[in-house]
This record gives sequence, structure tokens and C-alpha cells, in this order.
Amino acid sequence: MSFLAYDFMQRALIAAVLVGAAAPAIGTFLVQRRLALMGDGIGHIALTGVALGFLLGTAPVLTAIVVSILGAVTIELIRERGRATGDVALALLFYGGIAGGVLLIGLSPNGSSATLVSYLFGSLSSVRPIDLVVIAGLSITVIGVAVVFGRELFAVCSDQEVARVSGLPVRFLNILVAVTAAVTVSVAMRVVGLLLVSALMVVPVAAAQQLTTSFRATRIAACGLGVAASVGGLVLAFYADVAPGASIVVLALGAFLVAALAAQLRPAR
Amino acid sequence: MSVFDLRGGCVALGGREILHEVGVTIEEGEFVAVLGANGSGKTTLVRALVGLVPLTAGTLEIFGTPIARFREWPRLGYVPQRLAVGGGVPATVREVVASGRVGRARRLRRLGRADQAAIDHALEDVGLPHRAKDPVATLSGGQQQRVLIARALAGEPDVLVLDEPTAGVDADSQDTLAGALGHLSRQGGSVVLVAHELGPLAALIGRAIVIGGGRVVSDGPPPEPEGHHAHAGHVHTHAHEPAPPGRPSLFEPGTFER
Repeated sequence: MSFLAYDFMQRALIAAVLVGAAAPAIGTFLVQRRLALMGDGIGHIALTGVALGFLLGTAPVLTAIVVSILGAVTIELIRERGRATGDVALALLFYGGIAGGVLLIGLSPNGSSATLVSYLFGSLSSVRPIDLVVIAGLSITVIGVAVVFGRELFAVCSDQEVARVSGLPVRFLNILVAVTAAVTVSVAMRVVGLLLVSALMVVPVAAAQQLTTSFRATRIAACGLGVAASVGGLVLAFYADVAPGASIVVLALGAFLVAALAAQLRPAR
Repeated sequence: MSVFDLRGGCVALGGREILHEVGVTIEEGEFVAVLGANGSGKTTLVRALVGLVPLTAGTLEIFGTPIARFREWPRLGYVPQRLAVGGGVPATVREVVASGRVGRARRLRRLGRADQAAIDHALEDVGLPHRAKDPVATLSGGQQQRVLIARALAGEPDVLVLDEPTAGVDADSQDTLAGALGHLSRQGGSVVLVAHELGPLAALIGRAIVIGGGRVVSDGPPPEPEGHHAHAGHVHTHAHEPAPPGRPSLFEPGTFER
């Protein structure tokens, strides 16, 4: 357990536990709504936010949160309006996010494309004490939203029309999911990186549902798996000296494979 | 008091007017079938009644309140036309049915005894209490349709609006469905359902509104079954395909078209 001797590892581990629990908590609702790739899109847009932070000389996390929330609300409004054209509009938004990020980082005095890499794939040493406070606050907010609005979010993510006739504020709840996903992306980017953050929202859910039969059990198991993969991946990254985002996601995918095999082997329900 | 009072209702979708000045009033306790050919506008009519598509002209009152000011949504139960229960994450039958309670539940509170009782009753009404803990995806299509109806019943609505509840549903499920709707009706509830084929529901219908070309073409007692449809035990198995020539279908005829 020598890795615990380093302050940066202690902070990274605390961040990993928080992010590992928060990402699947909101990810379950994205999967339920068949929007598994939404987090990926928000991650692309958040890159512009990170670069904007470098350009303006402010904290990249703050600009990432602002830009990704704006992006997420835009995605939701585009989705609400139409189907076919919305698909292309989303693609334009996502490509714009990556291109904007690389462009802005090039323009900023103290940044280069290499700077962005730590944000794309995560970095062990990048979690500063102040980051930890932000990560803790936002992770708890994300989990809080998933718990407090759980019943309404399940109804909305299962059947939008029935939810509307039930009198639920469907647009508010959809935007709540989008904004919460955006916050999760910004929070998790230091640990897993923007390109892989969506994996932490989706893969634990996909793994859990191989073996679960209820929504509640899927949600709890996914959060547990998310924490285990994040912590395990971080330790792996420390010893193997690789980007933590990659090792976390590989572990989560491994859990998915094991769960899928176990589901195949056990008798049919 | 009227459950729904639609006057001069026009609805346009994608720039094309689907409903033209439709007037429909449904009173409390009525059991109404909305009939018509595919594309006649019958689904659009019930979607307008529950507020899912906006009126471009006309007025709609629900339980005596203009729709813009209507807030008592838990009094409405809606069962959309679905082939299966949606969602990308497994959910048990009971979880899906319980979500129909969301309009009446209190935030941050566990569902209370009254909620649990309503969910139990809804499951019993559709004959699925023994499947409550099973993942809904393992049920047959007809059983999933019954889950969707139980979800609406769990909210203890005063009016139930169903869009093609019998489409593609096996005979057993149709009978169970007829039993559940009859039960609701006897307790004073109102039922409005879009139907293509009435099957065992025919005996419950008190009034039929026939839509054709976006207008009401007839409104009154349900038409008497004719031909092979009149035979006892007749079961429709052709859910959506047009009736072959020489086998007239009661509610499919072109005579209702403009």
C-alpha cells in the first residue's frame, strides 16, 4: 500500500471513490432513456470549456462546467425539437467541441495540445486540494439529484408521454438529467478524462444489468462497480504508470465481460 | 361534469392539419370507443384530449377546467400505444407499475400503505401479481401491454385513456383487459379507448365515436357487429394488416372515409 504515502494519490483516491459512485448514479438514467452516448457528447463539448479556461487564465474546471452545462441544455433542446435533424445537429455540436478546444488551446499563451492530453485521459497528479473540494461538492450534488428525484427521473426516462400526462414537469426533468450529466463530466474529467468519462457512466450500468432484474438493484450495483473500477484503475495506473482513465475503463469493461459470461452460464430465468 | 369537452378542436402536425374542428364531449362514467381507419386521426384525437399535442384552434376543458390551467393530472390515466415496455435498464413489473403512482407520491418519502395497496390492486386487475418481481422484459407482448395498463391504473385515475390497447394482444390478455376496464367502469370511472378491433371489449362500449378524415363522422351507440364478427368467440388475429378482400372488417371500411 505504498501508494498511500503520496498526498496526490490520497486525493486522487478520494476523488475516484466520489466520481466512481456519482457517474453510474446518473448514468443509469441515461441508459434507461437510451441516451448512453450523451455523456460522450458532453465530454467533447467540455474540451472547449477546458481550453477556454486556459485562454482566460481561470480554472479550467469552472469553464468546463459552464460550457458543458450550456452544451447539455442545447443538446436537450435540440432533442426535444426533432428526431432526424437533431441527430446531425448533435454531431455538429460534438465536432465543434473538439475543434474548438484544440483551437482555443493553441491560442492561449501557456497551453498546447499536449496540455489537453491530461484532460482527455485523466491524470493522477492533477487533483489538487482545491479540486478535491470541488469534486466532493459536485459528486454529492449529483448523487443527491439521483436520489431526491429518483422516482420522477425513472418515470420520465421510461416513458416521456406517460410522464407528461401524469403532470410531471418533463422538460425540467430532462434538463435536470442533462445538467447533472454535464456536471458529472466536468467532475470526472480529472480522474478518467473527457474522452472516457462517458464510459464510467455507462459501462458499470451495462455490467450490472447482466446480473440484475430490477432498476433499483442495477443502480446500486452499478455505483459499487463504478467505485471498484475507479479505485482499482487508479492503483493500476500508479504502478504501471499509465493514464488512469484507460486503466479504469479497462477494468470496468473487464467487469462487464465477467458479468456477461456469468449471465450466460447461469440457468435461464 | 364533463371529463373532456373539446370544441372546434384543430390539430396540425408537421404543418398539415390532421383534425378539423372536432367537437367531442365525454361525460363522467362513459365508456367510449374512438373508431376509424388507419390515418383517420383517431390517435391524434386522444393525444389532443390528454394534452400531448397542442390545439391550433378550438378549446379543451378537462374536468371543467381549461387545459392551460388544468393541474389535476393524477385524475388522468394514459396508456400509449407501445409494442413493449421501454427503457434500457432492467426493471421489475412492480417497479414499472409503481412508476404510475408518481403523480400522487410525495418526494423523498417511501411509498405509503395507500400507494402499495393501489399498486397491488392494479397488478391484480391485470392478472399479474405472480409476475411482480420478474423483469418486465421477460413477459410476452400481451403481458407487457397489461403492465402498461396496470401502470395507469396504479395512479387510481378517474378517467383512463388507452390508445389501441388490444393491438397485437393475445386472446387471454384481451379478456383480462376487458375485465380490468369493466371493473374500473363499474366503479364509476370513465374510459376512452382508441380501437381498431374491439374483440371482448365490444360488450363494454356504451358509445362509439367514428373518426374519418380528421372529422367526427358518427357519434352514438356502437355499431352492431355483422357477418363473421358477430360469431361468439370470434378472435381477431390480424392486428394491423388491412382486411383481405371478401372479408369485410367492421371498423376498417372505406365508407367512413371522406
